[in-house]
Amino acid sequence: MAAFGVKLLPAMKIIPSRFALLSALVLALPTVAAAQRGDSVYVDDRLNQLQQSLTMMTGQIEQLQHRNAQLQQQLEKMQTDYEYRIEQLEKGGGGAGGRPAPRPGAQAAAPAAAPSAAPSPGAAGGSADQLYDEAFKKLQDGDYAGAERGFKTFVQRNPQNKLAGNAQYWLGETYYARRDYQNAMTAFAEGYKAYKASPKGPDNLLKLGITMAALNRKSDACAVFARFSQDYPRATDLQKRRIDQERQKNGCG
Amino acid sequence: MRMIKAWMAMAAMVVVAACSSNTNDQQASAATTSVAPGSVGDFRQNVGDRVFFDTDMSTINDEGRQTLNRQAEWLKKYSNYQVTIEGHCDERGTREYNLALGERRANSARQYLIAQGVPAARLKTISYGKERPDPVGSDEAAWARNRRAVSALQ
Amino acid sequence: MPARAQLTIDMTRPSFEPVPIAIVDFKGDSVGAQMAGVIRNDLQNSGLFRVIPQGSYIQQNVDATSPPQFPSWRQIGAAGLVVGQVVQSGGNIKVDFRLWDVVVGQQATGLSFTSQPSNWRRLAHIIADAIYKRVTGEEGYFDTRVAYVSESGPGNNRTKRIAIMDQDGANNRYITDGRTIALTPRFSPTLQEIVYMAYGENNTPPRVYLQNVDSGRRELLGNFPGMSFAPRFSPDGTKVVMSISADGNSDLYEMDVRGRQLRRLTNTPAIDTSPCYSNDGTQIVFNSDRGGAQQLYVMSSGGGGERRISFGEGRYATPVWSPRGDFIAFTKISSGGFGIGVMRPDGSGERTLASGFLVEGPTWAPNGRVIMFFRGQPSGGGRAGAVTLHQVDITGRFERQVPTPTDASDPAWSPLIPQ
Repeated sequence: MAAFGVKLLPAMKIIPSRFALLSALVLALPTVAAAQRGDSVYVDDRLNQLQQSLTMMTGQIEQLQHRNAQLQQQLEKMQTDYEYRIEQLEKGGGGAGGRPAPRPGAQAAAPAAAPSAAPSPGAAGGSADQLYDEAFKKLQDGDYAGAERGFKTFVQRNPQNKLAGNAQYWLGETYYARRDYQNAMTAFAEGYKAYKASPKGPDNLLKLGITMAALNRKSDACAVFARFSQDYPRATDLQKRRIDQERQKNGCG
Repeated sequence: MRMIKAWMAMAAMVVVAACSSNTNDQQASAATTSVAPGSVGDFRQNVGDRVFFDTDMSTINDEGRQTLNRQAEWLKKYSNYQVTIEGHCDERGTREYNLALGERRANSARQYLIAQGVPAARLKTISYGKERPDPVGSDEAAWARNRRAVSALQ
Repeated sequence: MPARAQLTIDMTRPSFEPVPIAIVDFKGDSVGAQMAGVIRNDLQNSGLFRVIPQGSYIQQNVDATSPPQFPSWRQIGAAGLVVGQVVQSGGNIKVDFRLWDVVVGQQATGLSFTSQPSNWRRLAHIIADAIYKRVTGEEGYFDTRVAYVSESGPGNNRTKRIAIMDQDGANNRYITDGRTIALTPRFSPTLQEIVYMAYGENNTPPRVYLQNVDSGRRELLGNFPGMSFAPRFSPDGTKVVMSISADGNSDLYEMDVRGRQLRRLTNTPAIDTSPCYSNDGTQIVFNSDRGGAQQLYVMSSGGGGERRISFGEGRYATPVWSPRGDFIAFTKISSGGFGIGVMRPDGSGERTLASGFLVEGPTWAPNGRVIMFFRGQPSGGGRAGAVTLHQVDITGRFERQVPTPTDASDPAWSPLIPQ
């Protein structure tokens, strides 16, 4: 996501600068034209042309924003998938040995009427891992309500499991994805309180700040971002960069 | 004398314009028939009471300008007329949007005439959207004739 | 062997067989046969029922209150059987009806009511609604009216006047006299009033009028120098949203019906028109060409927060929010012609339900499962092409023409008539 933001920014910047040029033209036009031609038809013409370019650009911006949102959705889905693969690797104990992780490419395979989806919700008899995997699968499929139930159950039943911090984080993500920022904030805050040292700790804190910013609680968000380097000095560069970006975006001092 | 000169100049202009489009053929030939100068018939036949637009557009094209220039000259000469400019659309749009588009077209023509010196107070607009086709028809030729602004004299 | 027909139907499934149903003439009064006829017509026209012809009924004399001979109805393939009786009492009529589940052999639903004899058609529609609801699980839509534009006369000078009829075409009456063009009628939630746009006398610009349906009293909804058009009521009936044009440009405004205060909702150099409130009244969907061509936008009902929701090929127009809130119906114009479609309010899940040379102006049945619109045929030889009303279910499977006395366009489906 961070890489995406960096990449797309320059392209998006072109448009505002073209707008600036246009508005400068609009301001300059009447006087120049009137002086040169004394011809109001000419001015009308030019205004019409400018109007048309503006309209065209409005359309282009709308399309870009739409594509941007689509890409972002895709990226978030990919990122989720990618994190899932890493988690599976970590669970496997670093080595590629052990059981093959429940297919990381689950997305592509999903439409094939997943035979694994037993009719029992897997809650009663299923192991903790199985419960986690099922909740994750729902998250990947965009069934946020289902994923919410799964992760909630997981954390309630297995608060000490090594995946509990991850589950708490993903629980927050199920709300965030549905723009339910209030519940997302509660979940991320709980994650920070209870699972600060979890591998998902840095992401969790970052998301807590972003969610607060989305709720227009800018100063709280800034306070959260400020804690980051203190709490997670060994966070990845990507995470640190993202924190810097967010601080800038929210005008944190 | 001056009247006759202006008349000849106008006839010449119409003939020149005729090269660019067949819609003016009738006007060119009509110029030789007898309609009283300054009459509604004169305006329709020798000046041209309508301009045409591209699909979904309301900008006046070159041909439209020539027509509106003639209209402006004529209206300035015969200042007893009030004008209602009717905006129309072809049937390839939805009813409500076409009402708005027709209004936009009528307003374009009005603004152009004002810029040519016709007093704004003499020019009203009304949109008929796609409700009053002329000609009635469902082919490209009919649609092109229907995307129009018509200056109706009162 | 295929499964036996059943007296339930899931209309959201990709395919289903219409429910075979037998409807016996109601007994006791001559109006009973007419009522049964209205019910048959309603159910058959919905596309969800197959009404079994009376000629094939084996049991000739069915009592209205005691159980029928189920085997004889099974034998002719009926899943449901409707019986009823009408009794005159003290200037009123008392109507009893029952729907028997022939498959399981028991009563599925029944109703009894008393009303004035002149209400017999409405009673029949209410019974049809009860049957529809029992079988589909969805609210019915038969006890409703449709306002539309009645068209007649030569192509270049059509008479266009507002008419209102029952949903099945009965009780047609004219609301405007046809001296000037009147378009785009829309019902208030109580059905007491309609708003529409009409030209003034002597070619004065179109304005929006509010008219009481019963008294015929009409008033101008705001006196603006420019054209006002494309009106639509808010779901609670207290406001009307519309386009008003000034200097050739159309923007959206909201008017408080009682206090007549006007509030501007959009301010762009583009055409903003065809506004429609969401079912909960918090949002407005409209079309605008601010991005070059007509597209659909959603904003908050007080104005602001505008976002585009249509991104497919072609131009999008006349968005109408479903009374259930789950879909927005629209007209789409692409190189291939016109289409009627639906999409979710966030713009996803677009589907086409009908297409043709000209299809326009969708309107929702109150249950949000059926859409009415109009079809136009190409004009030729100086004559206007025929314009007709049609309805289609939300799956696009079943389309039928709605009969009208004249050519007809701009349908507006009413809510259920308050009982």
